[in-house]
Amino acid sequence: MTARRTRIFWMAFAVILALLIVMPFGLPEFWRRFLTEILIWGLLAMSSDILIGYTGMVSFGHSAFFGLGMYGAAAALLTTRPPSLWLALLYGLIAAATVAAFVAYFSTRLRDIYFAITTLIFSQIFYVIIFTWTDATGGENGLAFSRPALAIPGLFSLPFTTLTLYWFVLAVVTGSYLVLRRITRSPFGMVLQSIRENEARTRAIGYPVERYKIVAVMFSGLFAGLAGVLYAIQNRFAAPDFVFFVVSGEAVIYNIMGGVGTLVGPIVGAAAFLLLREGLSRLFPYLASVASQHGLALPGLAEFPYLIPLGIIFIAIVIFMPQGLLGFARRRLNE
Amino acid sequence: MAADLSSAALAAAAAPVGAAPVLRTEDLGIRFGGLAALNGVNFAVARGEIRAVIGPNGAGKSTFFNCLTGVLRPSSGRILFNDDEITGLSPNRISRKGIARSYQITNILPNATTLENVRIAAQSRRHGWSLFTHHRAFRDIIEKAEAVLATVGLAAKADELAANLSHGEQRNLEIGIALATEPQLLCLDEPTAGMSAGETDDTIALVRRIARDLTILIVEHDMTVVMGLAHRITVLHYGAILAEGTPAEIQSNPRVLEVYLKT
Ligand SMILES: Nc1ncnc2c1ncn2[C@@H]1O[C@H](COP(=O)(O)OP(=O)(O)OP(=O)(O)O)[C@@H](O)[C@H]1O
Ligand SMILES: [Mg+2]
Repeated sequence: MTARRTRIFWMAFAVILALLIVMPFGLPEFWRRFLTEILIWGLLAMSSDILIGYTGMVSFGHSAFFGLGMYGAAAALLTTRPPSLWLALLYGLIAAATVAAFVAYFSTRLRDIYFAITTLIFSQIFYVIIFTWTDATGGENGLAFSRPALAIPGLFSLPFTTLTLYWFVLAVVTGSYLVLRRITRSPFGMVLQSIRENEARTRAIGYPVERYKIVAVMFSGLFAGLAGVLYAIQNRFAAPDFVFFVVSGEAVIYNIMGGVGTLVGPIVGAAAFLLLREGLSRLFPYLASVASQHGLALPGLAEFPYLIPLGIIFIAIVIFMPQGLLGFARRRLNE
Repeated sequence: MAADLSSAALAAAAAPVGAAPVLRTEDLGIRFGGLAALNGVNFAVARGEIRAVIGPNGAGKSTFFNCLTGVLRPSSGRILFNDDEITGLSPNRISRKGIARSYQITNILPNATTLENVRIAAQSRRHGWSLFTHHRAFRDIIEKAEAVLATVGLAAKADELAANLSHGEQRNLEIGIALATEPQLLCLDEPTAGMSAGETDDTIALVRRIARDLTILIVEHDMTVVMGLAHRITVLHYGAILAEGTPAEIQSNPRVLEVYLKT
């Protein structure tokens, strides 16, 4: 029974991965980049699922980890010649992990809403520091830099194209997924789920719950930082906007939309949300132009605030698919 | 006379009186605002003993367990476990020293399987920080968990969600979780609460079986069960020890009869 399910899982995994590998061939440049961004936001959302879905903690600090990954990568890319991809990863991960350790140490003493608010305050503190420390961070304008090459020193060096960058990001996100999946099934991951189920009982059977939470936040922050590094490489800039807590909120929304506690769900959520937003933002100008072709002037239609229908769809998903898109699809498949 | 002697010898064999106590409290007290929920409790239990703690509702029995297991920090006094002071330690530290408990109100992982409930408890002693190996790869933990489920009579329900077990089964799972941490001292807070007569008999038989390797403190309201099970009984009343002795002594103690057994 379980062996059969494992086989089905790996078959589905292989099919989806193969589809994702060939998908950009049929797509124009813009959508290739869009797909890369979906994967990066999916990685951020997946990293926060470790806390939301597995440990039962909602973090609003992920923008700080993401942002520090960005600025860490920026530091490496601006100070070393030629810019090195691996140093960008290293600096970004160290920056994100350091901040995650700091935030984890202070915030995991608190629970529920108090944990969420503490992480939010920390992310805002880092936002203010980055925003005002203009000399080092470029302040409001952020930092711009050139993209490193995909290189292994002494072996090869290829400049990134949209296509190779997409594959690189796909490889990193797939690798991260496999690592996170393994962690969630390890003894450590089972303790996190036990904390989510019944924190007091977990402590009573001998687990130092706070220490487990600290390590969970650090892992989560590390992968959020990895997403930040990828975003910096993709867009060739680091900006304070990405440290702002709203980015953490978006990660939470992707989790809820896709289904928490599944790792893949948050990626599905990110894809659904970003595609819907893109589609809706184009829909109203399109409708207005169609209408005017038929001699119909509909003032204001082109500027219709498309975030309103997006919000309504999100609320509908929360109400009618409380386990998210993935949870809903799974139930349908099992029926 | 001869009969008296042999029953005394039996009691002595079962409860090694005079052995160094495994657990001791000195002048233990805790206050909730103006209420002294425990007050000057001097308590000792010998290794291998089954000790019942009885008393009317609100006497402080659960509060006593909460102090022993670190859920509550005593306002005064000391708790010594194997002559080691454990007063005010966190619940996880106390668990690691070898004290486990079950709860008056069922306290399990409802959305995990029965097996996982005891497996996670067994894992608390080994491999808990293992990050990159699948938890099912640790056969020693699984075997320990399966052995515990067999002991508490839940082997057939291993793959069932704990939430789907009957109330009586959940009460026994509660004991299984505590046992899986391999304690020296097991505190059972009304393990038979809400059970049918048949389930109660099974659970009491279970307590007798596991008592061969452990020291047991048990809070229990059913007096026939208490009298048949305990080596000694401690009576709490308004947070203080009212009486202590063998079941026979307690049954004939006029103060106990007055406050407790008369109803
Ligand atoms: N956390 C707490 N805060 C305030 N008061 C408490 C707390 N815990 C217990 N009490 C009070 O302490 C007294 C002892 O309660 P406790 O639960 O220990 O009684 P008990 O002997 O276990 O009773 P029962 O037989 O009903 O389980 C009660 O008056 C109770 O209201
Ligand atoms: Mg009680």
